[in-house]
Amino acid sequence: MRSDSEPRTTTSGSRTGGGGRTGPLAAPIARHRVALGMKLLLYAVALTALFTFPDVAPSRYEVTVAITLLNYAVLATAWNFVGGFTGYISLGHGAFAGLGAYGTALLVVKAELPSFPALFAAAALVGLIAVPVGYAALRVRGASFVIVSIALVLVLLLVFQSWASFTGGSRGMVVPRPFPGMLRTEHHRVFYFLFAALLALALVTWWLIDRSRFGLGLKSIREDEDKAQALGTPTFAYKLVVFVVSAVFTALAGGLYALWFGDLDPVFQFSILSGAYMVLMALLGGVRHLYGPLLGALVVGYALEYSKLEYGDTPLHLVTAGLLLAVVVLFMPDGVIPAVRGLAARFLGGGQSSIREVTAAELLHGQRAAGSAAPPDSRTRKEVSS
Amino acid sequence: MSGLEITGLSKSFGGVCALDDVSVAFPHGKINALIGPNGSGKTTFFNCVTGMIRADSGRITYRGQDLTGRPPHRIARAGIGRSFQLCRVFPRMTVLDNLLCAVQPRTLRAKAGRSHSRAETERARHWLTRMGIDHLERAEAQNLSWGQQKLLELAGVLMSEPETILLDEPAGGVNPALIDRICALVSELNAEGRTFLVVEHNMDLVMSLSHHIVVFDRGWPIAEGPPSAIRSDEKVLGAYLGV
Repeated sequence: MRSDSEPRTTTSGSRTGGGGRTGPLAAPIARHRVALGMKLLLYAVALTALFTFPDVAPSRYEVTVAITLLNYAVLATAWNFVGGFTGYISLGHGAFAGLGAYGTALLVVKAELPSFPALFAAAALVGLIAVPVGYAALRVRGASFVIVSIALVLVLLLVFQSWASFTGGSRGMVVPRPFPGMLRTEHHRVFYFLFAALLALALVTWWLIDRSRFGLGLKSIREDEDKAQALGTPTFAYKLVVFVVSAVFTALAGGLYALWFGDLDPVFQFSILSGAYMVLMALLGGVRHLYGPLLGALVVGYALEYSKLEYGDTPLHLVTAGLLLAVVVLFMPDGVIPAVRGLAARFLGGGQSSIREVTAAELLHGQRAAGSAAPPDSRTRKEVSS
Repeated sequence: MSGLEITGLSKSFGGVCALDDVSVAFPHGKINALIGPNGSGKTTFFNCVTGMIRADSGRITYRGQDLTGRPPHRIARAGIGRSFQLCRVFPRMTVLDNLLCAVQPRTLRAKAGRSHSRAETERARHWLTRMGIDHLERAEAQNLSWGQQKLLELAGVLMSEPETILLDEPAGGVNPALIDRICALVSELNAEGRTFLVVEHNMDLVMSLSHHIVVFDRGWPIAEGPPSAIRSDEKVLGAYLGV
């Protein structure tokens, strides 16, 4: 068995090799502990805020804004299954939200299904529709894919506007409320938690894919699709699967919105804007991060709601969205989370600039976490110190 | 023993004929080289064989298996790995993840399993150590030097456990010391039983490394044989010197 002193040799060896800062050996671990503590604290605060908000909110209006933000967060996270993992930018994801909403509504109204079975049936149907749609759209990359995705929304908008006998057309469609006798305040409260649960489900699914081999395959598509194929990744099948998963979550969000809001209009349901919002939110937060789209949805969603409240019917909320997009593209191309992390690292960690130094710190941490060193570590040690 | 066999392969882009009814075979277990002037169809040939582009006609068989028209990932699974001209790695992934991307789980359960399993991580470290870049395990691939990226790409290809490896200009833009290292690696890996097909412009490298050489000119193989025969072949000299 290896003695405990070996990992230490590693660090000191590589640190002198890197010619970097020399500090106490425990520094990286302490830093890691601080980070972990901060993380747990953040989780606790966020969850407390989430659970108590409907009770402490000053009025019903704040709760409806919170529901809207949660809806945006689910949509942006659902979008990020495709956008974040594979790098395919879909501007047409509003189509799946609209289909989920209208599917739920039609199943309730025409097929007289109970509200929530209708919601899940509609999401399943959208999943089925997403197979041929993805099959066609995912054959093209880059700008072509973006255009195909836009075409999808526009086609559906025309269909749902023109087919008035079935969808209600431009007059809209009223969705019966799932809990008929319920007071309005209580109705909002229930949907607040339903949206929160759906968000949690989407986040957990994203996290599970992120750490899986499937997820790594998807990320390799984002980085270089040809290369991924050459390494044996069935890129098309991978893209299609994650596209369907994304469509189902988007449809669930759309359907839940229909049950909550109770009134659908094709212009808003099949709008390029809703898809563009999803992209903006995810990009603003950071598409490579689990909570990126959620954070983006909070920022962009709040900005949108605020400008709608203050400036009413003016298109100022669109200007706001445009400005936010400009800020992201100019100053934070990777989103808020990496930008903040970079700043934090600069202030807390100090000069982790060279590759070697990061490696040393991380190595030490890895070995400490693993307890006794494993054979590959000893191999690394030899190489580093030589 | 025959490995990769190509019969009647043709490919044209618009009016330009890149490959014209090419039939060649590359013996299994050898280091094969493919040379020819720029624009002679070498890379197109590579792309057709690995399924990156679809040939207009022709058949590709590998160890008795028909690979014609198969998508790239199926060809990779049949045991043919490749590197790219000018070197391609996954830039915004760590070096370790770059290698783990080459692990292809077959079952649904394995696909859903964690990407950083212990066994696979150790196998990846083995290749990184062999390439001499294991100390960069956690660095982002885009921060590596050109030569390190070349080694990383090779490590990634090896991680997918191919029997046959197609290298597109392994010595391109690489310093002489590293060229020697890559050559040594190719020889070692060949001694372990891997077949190579190398496209390369560096004639010294080709002549010293390969067992069998095929020369392309204008989408057509004009000569093939051992290095000694190629060196004195008049048609080859003509193609290269424009005589």
